[in-house]
Amino acid sequence: MSEHEQFDKVEPTPGERFSKFLKRKDVSSTVAWAFFYTLVFVLVALYLYPRWMPKGLSNEMRSTTRLMVIFTIISAPVCGFVLSMATHSFLRRHKGDTPPADGPGFSANRLGVATFSVMASILTLTAVIYGLVEMNTAAEASVREAKDAMVVKVVGNQWVWTFEYPESMGGFKSEVLNLPLNKAVVFDIVSADVNHSFWPVQLGVKVDANRLAHTTVTTKPIKLGEIDVKCAELCGLYHAYMETTGAVMTTDDFNKWVITQGGHTA
Amino acid sequence: MSASKRSASAILAVVLGVSVVAGVGFTLRSASQDPSPKLAASAVDGTIDINGKTYKKAAITLGVYPGPAEALKYDGVHINKNDWVQYSVSHIVLPKNTYVTFTIHGYDGGETLNNTYFDKVVGTVGNVVNYDGVDQSSVPCDLAVDNGCKVQHTFTIHGLPTRSQKSWFVNVPLLKVEEDDNGFVPTTNAETHNAGHTMTFSVLTPDTGGEYVWNCQFPCGDGTYGKFGAAMSAYGYMSGKVTVA
Repeated sequence: MSEHEQFDKVEPTPGERFSKFLKRKDVSSTVAWAFFYTLVFVLVALYLYPRWMPKGLSNEMRSTTRLMVIFTIISAPVCGFVLSMATHSFLRRHKGDTPPADGPGFSANRLGVATFSVMASILTLTAVIYGLVEMNTAAEASVREAKDAMVVKVVGNQWVWTFEYPESMGGFKSEVLNLPLNKAVVFDIVSADVNHSFWPVQLGVKVDANRLAHTTVTTKPIKLGEIDVKCAELCGLYHAYMETTGAVMTTDDFNKWVITQGGHTA
Repeated sequence: MSASKRSASAILAVVLGVSVVAGVGFTLRSASQDPSPKLAASAVDGTIDINGKTYKKAAITLGVYPGPAEALKYDGVHINKNDWVQYSVSHIVLPKNTYVTFTIHGYDGGETLNNTYFDKVVGTVGNVVNYDGVDQSSVPCDLAVDNGCKVQHTFTIHGLPTRSQKSWFVNVPLLKVEEDDNGFVPTTNAETHNAGHTMTFSVLTPDTGGEYVWNCQFPCGDGTYGKFGAAMSAYGYMSGKVTVA
């Protein structure tokens, strides 16, 4: 064996192996598909989610929309990779009647498995940490805002929501949820019959309404707009009709509405 | 397996699958069907001006009974359903953008409301109901006093506010027939008000039309689920649809 032949048999470095691996036709096409799908999900998250999500009338709703966007971006590479494998398998599927003989067995590509595992773990940890930060920020804001908040008692009945405003406003009741702008509100929620779930969509909060047990949630409307109130817990025949409306209003408009309901301004 | 057998097997599998899905769909649809025939409001001659707008008029009459026997006895209404408390019909059809006058004959007793919001009249013209000739904006319901709640049932209309239909909310508490150890006590004027109470009110139906629902907010079912079983959890007894077209 010549000296030159011995030199040729030197093992390639991991970088060379990886470079060679990427140049394989099946690998390069799969990577291209992965980039394509990832880009699609990122664009959907950045441009379509904010349009699809309900209008954010509170920081909680804006935070929810932001979480949806960021979580989608974080998960896009993993989803893109899985879909690219599926696409590759579909495009290279066997055609014809006679199936080919089984190919040679193969063992896991350690570098590939390690890369996928590490990347997926980093993305997941990023999502967990970001989610915890958002959650704690929202919880801290709730505690801060609850101190001078208006308390609205919410009662879920099959299949109507009713709202009882504070005694300082006359303690009137309504079947629509109107709130003043920039005034924190604590919803004191209970059910008069079966379990419901109180969901004022554009305010970004959703809490169970139980019989005999009160639940509370705090939010602060920061933008004018309409509110859709839904029940998010299957509660009987007309659960789907357990909806009502409301609005975030200017303080003047809210005070006028309070007076039309037989209440008085606080 | 030959090609023709393979094709036949594939077609059979598809047909079976479609049949199963269709069977489940038809069964569910049948279970959710309203058991009562529709009742449409009748047109009434003349128009009425309210807040500068002119509305056509229509009228509809309903009854609410402790059971089918009372429906037959008091109003000659044949109800072929379980012996539960019930309204005479459940699917109501109303003309849109119309002044509709409801007359409800109520022959049942009552106990208490879970939420006293529903003792208040909401969404009728003038926010009042005429109870045996007297206009009232609510029915007394004091939960702290024995027999303090005079509500029989409620007739509560609501629905989904969507792009194609307006939100609509009406709540009418019905006055209960008092009971003693011998059963229902006849009301003061049994001749004009039968054995129960006659309640009339008018509503302006939404100009967009739409599909709404009505239900009773008084827990009047059996003991299951805090009196929300039986009539309160079955189609066609204490709830139904309101089609505004």
